[in-house]
Amino acid sequence: MPKPGKSKTVQIIQPDAYPQMLSKPRAARALHTLRAPETAAKAQVAMEASMPPMRAAILQYVEEMERAGSDMTRLFEAAHEIRGFAETAGMVTTGRIAEVLCRYMDDIMRFGRTLDTTIVALHVTAIARAARAEDDNVRTGQTVAAELAALVAKRLSESE
Amino acid sequence: MSGAGFENLKALIVEDNAHMRSLLRALLNAIGIKDVSEATNGQIAIQILRERKSDLVLTDLAMKPMDGLEFTRYVRNHDHSPNPFVPIIMISGHTEKYRVEAARDAGVTEFLAKPITAHNLFARIGEIVERPRAFVRCDNYFGPDRRRHQNDDYTGPWRRKDDFQTTEAR
Repeated sequence: MPKPGKSKTVQIIQPDAYPQMLSKPRAARALHTLRAPETAAKAQVAMEASMPPMRAAILQYVEEMERAGSDMTRLFEAAHEIRGFAETAGMVTTGRIAEVLCRYMDDIMRFGRTLDTTIVALHVTAIARAARAEDDNVRTGQTVAAELAALVAKRLSESE
Repeated sequence: MSGAGFENLKALIVEDNAHMRSLLRALLNAIGIKDVSEATNGQIAIQILRERKSDLVLTDLAMKPMDGLEFTRYVRNHDHSPNPFVPIIMISGHTEKYRVEAARDAGVTEFLAKPITAHNLFARIGEIVERPRAFVRCDNYFGPDRRRHQNDDYTGPWRRKDDFQTTEAR
């Protein structure tokens, strides 16, 4: 018997019953293309070419985040952009700290709790430092990111 | 050989960040998709979909005034949708479980977490090519079959032996 409240009429439309992106012969060639070394090489070139403008954009988002001050919506939007493509731009530490900050803010705001502005400020400072560091010192940055993540986890558990 | 198979496809990128649009376009170009349109939010994307056929959609989640979830729901469910079956890959930095589930329930075909890599994007496109999903139509959902794995919290349609009135379209 179906579970109460569940839909009783279900239509399953198999892949051969609706238009596919590629015909079967083309699909086989496409899969070969996706796995070809020359495709990976072209993609690598594309990724590397995107890095300098992305790094410049990240620095702009960092400034935007710093200017946001107590406007947490604006601050979150800037941090979210940073977490979105800092790592793609090769700014691994920056991206990871932004990820921790976004998860913290998202959790707090979703459940209607009060943001700890000290935690936010610590992250903003750490993100800015990591982004502006010429060599983006990964080991130091990862330690900072891990410590901030631990701090956030502790504060979140305290506020439950 | 590079580019073979994809050369006739048209893709649509829906993303409000210009740098990300540029990167996604370059990655699609790398596999041979040269005909790529761009939109900065869901509303513009719908206009583009009406004006030109798209075989593949890459969309961000958070955009204004129409985000990727609303856009996906429109494509899947609206009476005037140009192609309810078009593969949609959602690419987002919002990787919290509830957001990924919202994307799945809106009807995305694949979800790709930022930061993106070429390898991960190509893997999602490969999934669509190699293992196209059945579509499910029920009272409260239309989109790719969401049951890739057993999930005790699954609230979607029932297809087991004792399911009611399940029909198959071929």
